[in-house]
Amino acid sequence: MKDTAITLGHGSGGRQSADLVSHLLESFGKRGIGPEMEDAALLPGGYAMTMDGFTVSPRRFPGGDIGHLCVCGCANDLAVRGASPDFLGISLVLEEGISPEEVSSYMESAASTCAELGMTLAAGDTKVVPSGAVEGMIITGCAFGQIRTPRTLSMSSIREGDALLVTTSVGRHGAAIASARFNLPVEGLLSDCAPLWPALSPLLHLEGLRCMRDCTRGGLGTVLCEWAEASELHFSLDEDSIPVSFQVKSLCDVLGFDPLYMACEGCAALAVAPSDTEETLRILRQSPLCGDAAVIGRVSSAEPKGMVSMRTSIGGERLVDMPWGEILPRIC
Amino acid sequence: MPISAPSIAALLGKISRTPLSVMEVCGTHTVSVFRSGIRSILPPTLRLVSGPGCPVCVTDQGEIEAAISLLDRGAVVAAYGDMFKVPCKGGSLASKRSGGLDARVVTSAMEVLSIAVENPDREVVFLGVGFETTAPATAALVSEAARRGVPNLSVLSFHKRTPPAVELLAADPDLRLSGFLLPGHVCVILGHAPFRFLPEKYGLPGVIAGFEPDQILLGLAEIVRQHEQGAPALRSVYGTAVKKEGNTKALGLLEEVFRHRDAPWRGIGTIPDSGLGLRKAYESFDAEKRFSLSLLPGAPPAGCRCGEVLTGKIIPPECPLFRSACTPLSPVGPCMVSGEGTCGAYFRFYKGDRS
Repeated sequence: MKDTAITLGHGSGGRQSADLVSHLLESFGKRGIGPEMEDAALLPGGYAMTMDGFTVSPRRFPGGDIGHLCVCGCANDLAVRGASPDFLGISLVLEEGISPEEVSSYMESAASTCAELGMTLAAGDTKVVPSGAVEGMIITGCAFGQIRTPRTLSMSSIREGDALLVTTSVGRHGAAIASARFNLPVEGLLSDCAPLWPALSPLLHLEGLRCMRDCTRGGLGTVLCEWAEASELHFSLDEDSIPVSFQVKSLCDVLGFDPLYMACEGCAALAVAPSDTEETLRILRQSPLCGDAAVIGRVSSAEPKGMVSMRTSIGGERLVDMPWGEILPRIC
Repeated sequence: MPISAPSIAALLGKISRTPLSVMEVCGTHTVSVFRSGIRSILPPTLRLVSGPGCPVCVTDQGEIEAAISLLDRGAVVAAYGDMFKVPCKGGSLASKRSGGLDARVVTSAMEVLSIAVENPDREVVFLGVGFETTAPATAALVSEAARRGVPNLSVLSFHKRTPPAVELLAADPDLRLSGFLLPGHVCVILGHAPFRFLPEKYGLPGVIAGFEPDQILLGLAEIVRQHEQGAPALRSVYGTAVKKEGNTKALGLLEEVFRHRDAPWRGIGTIPDSGLGLRKAYESFDAEKRFSLSLLPGAPPAGCRCGEVLTGKIIPPECPLFRSACTPLSPVGPCMVSGEGTCGAYFRFYKGDRS
């Protein structure tokens, strides 16, 4: 790793985050005991496991709070690998001074999301640290579930000709957080934070389902760039087909952000064989969360390989690259 | 009734005969051109050249070093987000913040007033960067701070004026530009008058356009039409947003708070009368005075050709550092740092050197 210090850029989900993670995994990799780079690990015995830490500011945002977010984030990581969200562990690091009522309100929303999913809290840990050691609280979830598909859903299963889909309109979580953080309220803008298992589990019998990923930090753009790099295939997107809400577009216009790189917390990207594309869309659209599900592009063997390009609304062509560094609002 | 971008592009293809080089001055135009893939649908006779209109890119190395030196001296430095990653000898605002110093991202100049009021025992400095679009907000901040007598607030004004830079490029014999696509938001403030020199003195079309792809294409079509008909003029295709006289209230604020002064543009050099410094009446809010800063133009990093990129003399892939030593993760020059910088835009969106 070239950087001499870890910065917020390393935490924002793009190229720098990938650099940091591979740097941190070196010690495990060289001993042959490192993980594969997917949302959840597939373990022997038909189980899947994932972990995710959350530090969001503000902790309560339009459309959710940090408790709900933690359960959704963990459960979605399992869901996109075809595993049911069965058990959850929660670790809390609390800053002294935070009110117990506030923390319990997040536990209440976490519990209600778990109940909705049939997920049981199996383990937990609580630490309190001196004022200033963390900002308010950090919540980390660890989820465990049973794999419910005979096929391995993975980047390595993506093939030339596959269709690329999203399950709903993109960028709503990132935009909702940015609107709260920069005090730019947008009417009707809510985080998409939601558990995906009910929408994705009916797809698991489809033979053409290759790979799924929830588009969290770094957004849809980052997921597709990672897939293109890993598969060494070319991904071509059609800008007009990518669902983006008016509210997300407005906020991104004001701050100079690209909806493609805004975080989602209830939206997955899918790669599906052409034969099963229509059926996938039909099933997805039965879920109340996935009314905007759409085919947004194709995988091909065109050049440049390992990269994503986009046919723009006006009929132009351009590349889609991974975001780099911390995503900051622009000057004008 | 708006016309669709593909229809304008088709018309443009029909009317464009003579080869033309048109500069889009503004970084927001540059990014919109790339994001929408406009270059890929332009007729081969029309070449777009990206100009110096990215505020981050033209802020001089020495100016950023001055801002960072104030952090080191214990001040709170507030700035717009995209200044945070610009590297200079002493690091960047972002690296200083990770080191525990108090650099804060603001999205509006007025936020700085509350920061100053809430931290009466700290010096709070606003880094005033940008063109005529952001300068009125800084002027409003200074004027309000003076009215309320906020003693711990000051401004480091590196604001720059667009017209002197555009004139420098119009007069450059090496560039041989055929016309300018002028930034709509700058003209919302300035109106038409400051750019009339383009047709009147240099015989060049100057067309004020908005930032959506169809508005950019319409602006280009107007430039091509003026050329083909031999009738250069200053025109706005930005609908009702731009008044000929500009925004008189904002202009009044600029006049009240700022005076013109020579300013260093990174990679270009000093352009006479192109900067905005605080007037004498407001010098108690001038961070340069308060902290006795002497600003020296910083030397550009070795091998960096941002100066030539900013003036449209080369495109980024012609710089030997592009994509090798200079990437968005470890930028050498400012054009790679900013989301609106020309090198950053080529890096993210340009396919020409990839396939």
